[in-house]
Order: sequence, then structure tokens, then C-alpha cells
Amino acid sequence: MSSASTASTPPTAPPISVLSLSVPVAMGYVPLGMVFGFLLVQAGGAWWLAVAASVLVFAGAAQFMVVPMLAAGLPVAAIALATLVVNLRHIFYGLSLLDKLPHQPWARWYLVFALTDETYSVLTTLPPETSTRQMVGVALLNQGWWVLGTLLGALIGTQAQVPLVGLDFALAALFAVLAVEQWRSAHSAAPLWVALASYVLALAVMPQQALLISIALSVLAGLLLPQWLAAKAADKVSP
Amino acid sequence: MIDTTYALGVLACMAGVTFGLRALPFLAAKFLQKHPMVQQLGRFLPLAIMTLLLVHTLVGNARDNPQGPWAELAAVALALGLQWWKRHALLSILLATALYVALRNT
Repeated sequence: MSSASTASTPPTAPPISVLSLSVPVAMGYVPLGMVFGFLLVQAGGAWWLAVAASVLVFAGAAQFMVVPMLAAGLPVAAIALATLVVNLRHIFYGLSLLDKLPHQPWARWYLVFALTDETYSVLTTLPPETSTRQMVGVALLNQGWWVLGTLLGALIGTQAQVPLVGLDFALAALFAVLAVEQWRSAHSAAPLWVALASYVLALAVMPQQALLISIALSVLAGLLLPQWLAAKAADKVSP
Repeated sequence: MIDTTYALGVLACMAGVTFGLRALPFLAAKFLQKHPMVQQLGRFLPLAIMTLLLVHTLVGNARDNPQGPWAELAAVALALGLQWWKRHALLSILLATALYVALRNT
């Protein structure tokens, strides 16, 4: 975003245009959507199936995750559980938007549906007096970029015969980016070490279900560890 | 080929679960705001889950690569380093993926 243009800022903040907020999202969503559409078609899905996923589900990481699962024909229940786990973080997004979202039912529930990582960050950046139209507009634009990218990628995928090996690394890179951003805002390094230890343990015990088991272990640790630390601190205070 | 009926069932389930998660705070706002356990998990889980998703995806990539984990390690180091330094998500993702594709296809 270009912020240098308003050097002498007036006391009232200038109105932020919906398009200017959506452009950085477009730069991420169009190429990533293309990779998703491409991968799903290459995995054997119809092009319109990729577009349907981006219209109906609209959740980046979960859509990437499901490509190999669909190709392997995993049970629907297993995929639903994996979606729950991958998107669990979205539970906490609404908490900071409870008062901010409009009250008209259609606008409110569309915004809830469209609450991706990026739309969440844009919505929380908007000033409190933002109109319903602007909020819905930015969410619709964001989803539009995602669907457009998916369509382009899917169409390219139906043409390309020999794909380059390793394009799916975009997913690992996306997780690396999100992990760095979570690390920046984290209160301590404990979740990182707990996660690594959980994964090593899960890999040793049940390698086929390593992700699920390690997440369950991390949730358990997330519930117990702070209490244990608090109890230990209390012990030290009162000998 | 991926079966269409099966795939549509999967998409419907994913849409329902994702929407349910995003809607939950609005339906259970009072409960969630009061419960300290939920806030505690909310602080702890995001970094833990991202770390797990990253490690799990890397392990999967490395398993499919007969040349061992060096390409994965180099590309993820680039992604982490770039994101830490520049904070530009698209740049980190594109360059790390390009490096990985280059390493795998030589």
C-alpha cells in the first residue's frame, strides 16, 4: 500500500477505498487460487469443481489440504474432521468483530461466511464508521479474486499435460508465512516447542495419523500447561 | 478421475464445517468471552497449529522426494527467512516455491 502520499495527515483520517484495501489481497489470492485450481485439475477433478470449492468453501489452507485427500478418496467424515482442525483458528476471529459487523442479516452472515485470514485482517483494519456496503464490498472483492484465480488455474491445468514437480510447495510456503506471522504475535515460544514435540511423538506412535494426534496433543498441552506453570509459580511464592 | 458426487459431498461438508466455525463466536459470544479456557487456547493454539501444518506438509513433501529432505529444508528456510525479513507473503511464497521447483526439476 502507498502511504507516503498523505504526508500531512488531517486530524480526521482520510476514507480508505475498498479497492485499495483489496489490492494486496488480490496479489496473494489470484496466484494462490491459480495454484489451487491447477492442482485440483491435475489431481483429476473437473475445472468447475475447483471453482465450486472456491465459491462454496472459501478457505485457502483447507482447500489445498483437500486436494490430495480427494485424489486418495478419503472418507467424507475424515475430510470434515481435517477441515475442522485446519480452520479451528477461525473460531477466534469472530470474537474481535462481534460489535463491528453490520446487523442486517444478509450482510452479517455473508461476512461471517467470508471471514478468511485476509478478509479478517482487512475488516479489523477498517475504521469503525465504515458502511455496510464497504465491508460487504471488500469481502466480495476478496472472494472474487480467489474465484478468478481458481478459474484461471483450473483452465491452465486442463491444458497442461506434464506439470513441474513441486508446485504444491506453495502450500508449505504459505504455512511458513503464517507460522512466522503467528510467531511474531505469540506471547511465548512454548506453542512452537509443544507442537514440535507432539509431532515427533505422534510420528513415532501412529505415523498414519501424525497430524491429527499431534494437534490433539497440542490442544491438551494448551489446556494443561498454563495451569501447571501457574501452579508451579504459586508453589515458589509460598514455600 | 475424482468422482463428482463424492467430491460435491466433500465440498458441502467442508462448507458447513468452515461456516460453522466462523459463525460460532457470533452464536455463542457470551459463553466464549467468559470462558478462560477458550481464551487460553486462543492464545496457545494458533502458533502450535501453524507449526504442525508446516512440519506435516514438509514431511509429506520430503517423503515424495527420493533425493532426501535437502530441497525441502532449503526452500522452507528461504520462506521463513524472507517472511521474517521482508514481511511480504506473496514474495516469500513465490520465491520459495520457485526455488523448490528448480531444485526438484534439475
